[in-house]
Amino acid sequence: MSTTAYLVGLGAAGAAALLGAILPARRRLFGAALLSAAACLAALAGAGRVLVSGHPFSLHTAQVLPLTGVDLSLDPLGALFVATTAVVGLAAACYSVGYGAHATPSRTATAALPAFLATLLLVPAAASVATFMVAWELMALTSLLALLTEHRRRPETRDAAQWYAAMTHVGAAAILLGLVLLATHAGGQTFSAIAAHRGRRSVPLTSAVFVLTLLGFASKAGAVPLHVWLPRAHPEAPSPISALMSGAMVNLGIYGILRVGEDLLGGGQLWWWLLVAALGVVSAVFGALHAAASTDTKRLLAYSTVDNVGLVLVGVGAAGALAAGGERLLAGLVLLAALFHLVNHALFKGCLFLGAGALQHAAGTRDLDRLGGLARKMPATAVLFAVGALSISALPGLNGFASEWLLLQGLLHGFASHSATTEAALLSGVAALAITGGLTATAFVKALGVGFLGQPRTEGARGAREVGPSMLAGMALLAGGCVVLGVVPGVALPVLDRAAAAGLPGGAPSALRVGLGLDLASLHGAIEPVLLVTGLLAGILVIWGALRLAPRHAELRRPRRAEAWGCGRELQTARMEITATSFAEPLQRVFADVLRPDHDLEVTHAAESRYFPEAISFHQRVDDAIERVAYGPVIAAVAWWGRLARRVPNGSVHRYLAFGFAALVLILVVLA
Amino acid sequence: MTAGAALDVVELAAGVVLAGAVLALWRKDLRALISVLALQGAALASLAAVLAVGDGDVGLGVVAGVVLVTKGLVIPGLLTRVVRADPGSRETAPLVNVPASLVAAAVLVVLSYLVAGRLTALFPDPLTRLVPLGLATVLVGVFVLVTRRKAVSQIVGLLLVDNGVALVAFLLTAGVPLLVELGTSLDVLLVVVVLQVLATTMRARFGHVDLDQLRELHD
Repeated sequence: MSTTAYLVGLGAAGAAALLGAILPARRRLFGAALLSAAACLAALAGAGRVLVSGHPFSLHTAQVLPLTGVDLSLDPLGALFVATTAVVGLAAACYSVGYGAHATPSRTATAALPAFLATLLLVPAAASVATFMVAWELMALTSLLALLTEHRRRPETRDAAQWYAAMTHVGAAAILLGLVLLATHAGGQTFSAIAAHRGRRSVPLTSAVFVLTLLGFASKAGAVPLHVWLPRAHPEAPSPISALMSGAMVNLGIYGILRVGEDLLGGGQLWWWLLVAALGVVSAVFGALHAAASTDTKRLLAYSTVDNVGLVLVGVGAAGALAAGGERLLAGLVLLAALFHLVNHALFKGCLFLGAGALQHAAGTRDLDRLGGLARKMPATAVLFAVGALSISALPGLNGFASEWLLLQGLLHGFASHSATTEAALLSGVAALAITGGLTATAFVKALGVGFLGQPRTEGARGAREVGPSMLAGMALLAGGCVVLGVVPGVALPVLDRAAAAGLPGGAPSALRVGLGLDLASLHGAIEPVLLVTGLLAGILVIWGALRLAPRHAELRRPRRAEAWGCGRELQTARMEITATSFAEPLQRVFADVLRPDHDLEVTHAAESRYFPEAISFHQRVDDAIERVAYGPVIAAVAWWGRLARRVPNGSVHRYLAFGFAALVLILVVLA
Repeated sequence: MTAGAALDVVELAAGVVLAGAVLALWRKDLRALISVLALQGAALASLAAVLAVGDGDVGLGVVAGVVLVTKGLVIPGLLTRVVRADPGSRETAPLVNVPASLVAAAVLVVLSYLVAGRLTALFPDPLTRLVPLGLATVLVGVFVLVTRRKAVSQIVGLLLVDNGVALVAFLLTAGVPLLVELGTSLDVLLVVVVLQVLATTMRARFGHVDLDQLRELHD
């Protein structure tokens, strides 16, 4: 039953890609989106059944791939990723109808989204090295295609695609190397055969496999220092694709780390997981800092993805370290929290990316400094974006709070683990959680305040209109998920518990009591978001009522209306408002050593006197310091090598023939 | 014809094919190169004819006829027309000079004997012992392709490769099926026609047929 539903989902996504490519222009978008949505629902049903019942399914077919055949298997861990992808995919498919409608969508653009979706659904179900690598590379290819669909209109897309292609290629090569190394020493290439050989491999071998695959998976997940493609590719991709990339594809990097590290290698060494946690801490802080400094909406969201992936990695690393130290209960709790945060991130980041796309669609720009006042023009988008922004800032009553609270609880309870290194890792995780919490809130107050409140800064923002119902429905689906999981997080816990238990070798006992809220049964700590939200609403109601009833001075009785974020001034122009750049300026000053902003200030003086400036122009760029320091020399070296190689083919036919001849003779000499 | 005499003819023909390839390296006159090709074609045809008589194979006899017509007559005739359009044209400055080319040819022959040892060991037989000659012809042909500048020399190099392949095929498989031989002969003929047209066009457009001066096309 679950097998059928899942396979129907895959098939429908493939058929949607085909429909997108062959249908006439008028029906193309709708047909592909409808079928994609159906595919997501079917896959969700299949994965949901696996998650609820806890029974994995597996199947093998020899017809599809030569020599090895295809092995598919969906356990609760994989099913969680399939389900998350399906939800984000459903929203993205819905949204794409309105998003693509303003211009005749090309065949490629329409087909790329379902094709990408199909590969995203396929990867977590792959159950052998060959199947996994094929699915993984198909995902890389289709996402690259999807990223490039707007390259005619926006040439900068090509640059982003090059970065992405290079990073994903290097990553895939590392994963391939690691998995092949593993398979050759495990007596089989199916995951079950490899997992059955867990205890019989040497430590250097497993460590090499783990580090190689970590390299590849971390580059897909966007962990610092392999994150450089994210802030380029996510902004340049069409918004439904950005949502899928950030809400679903990035997750699969985490999935890979868990699948290989915990399932195939059986947990392994403590230092592996400390390395993962260290990557997580660095990513979280670095991503949050850049998000706070960015003025481009989608770039801000991309860096915030780096930040959230970092938090998930902290959880995964801490869980692995605790499990390696024998603390199974805590390990299960922390992994559950990490997976919960991953699901939540998919929901709110998907919603935010779709919202950013709506902004771009309506106002024609992503630059916060050119937006403003959109809450009035597009109230529904503003509310949905605000839900996403409040969730990601971890405000109580929304899902970001629930998972971050759980993660924090897990990390804090882990201090009793009696291992100094683990405790140090947990402590830095707590610190990272704290600092990113603050920075993320800053970033999203900026996005909301500057983008949606105040007065419009440009003609584009002034002329913005509310987006269509299909786009709103896509965002509302994800925002609704944020609210539900935030108010009653307990409903998701049994499912997450099963996934977390499947993610740790040998399973893990559950640390949570079943209920609507979060209750750490044996570890002391509980929170009931329903009560919290009810209390909060009651408080607001009481204050509002009290203000209505209380006697007031005559002057206070006369209402005076002003724009929010307008400082209550009588005369307010858009030029007087705070901009995103100036909002982030204090933070930039504090963290100047990490962010290294480039300023360019030009003052033109009046001819009569130097005391009267005529014009002041100010430019600022915040480049990625890691990209400049670590990638600059590598790119220069590759370019040098490329120039060297270009001297070899000089156009002479004889030289080309001589290459072939030399190769032939060489082979003959070797044979003889 | 006795078996011994037939083998003598086959050995002679194979030797002529390789000797022709070496001759092609030595002579600079393009006309001489073409006569070398005609000689090789005749040798191959006689080799096939002798094998056909020995086996009583009619198909192979037809193949011998096809080889004689295409490799011995038609192709040399086509090439002669190219050269006639440009009398006195010679391979003046090969990329590797003649003495060095001959030394290289010697090395290639030794190499092909070393490599073919494995092939002949599979089925030791008077015919398979001659396979190194065919391999050496192929290698010398590629060497001509690499080191000679004129378009006609390039065609000759290609045909040398083809003759070497045909020789190996005759020796190893005891007769190529008629259909295959017809197909390859037609292919080669087509290539020669195309190259003839190209060479003529090159002369008309650039005033020379030196491939090495074409590298501006690269950029």
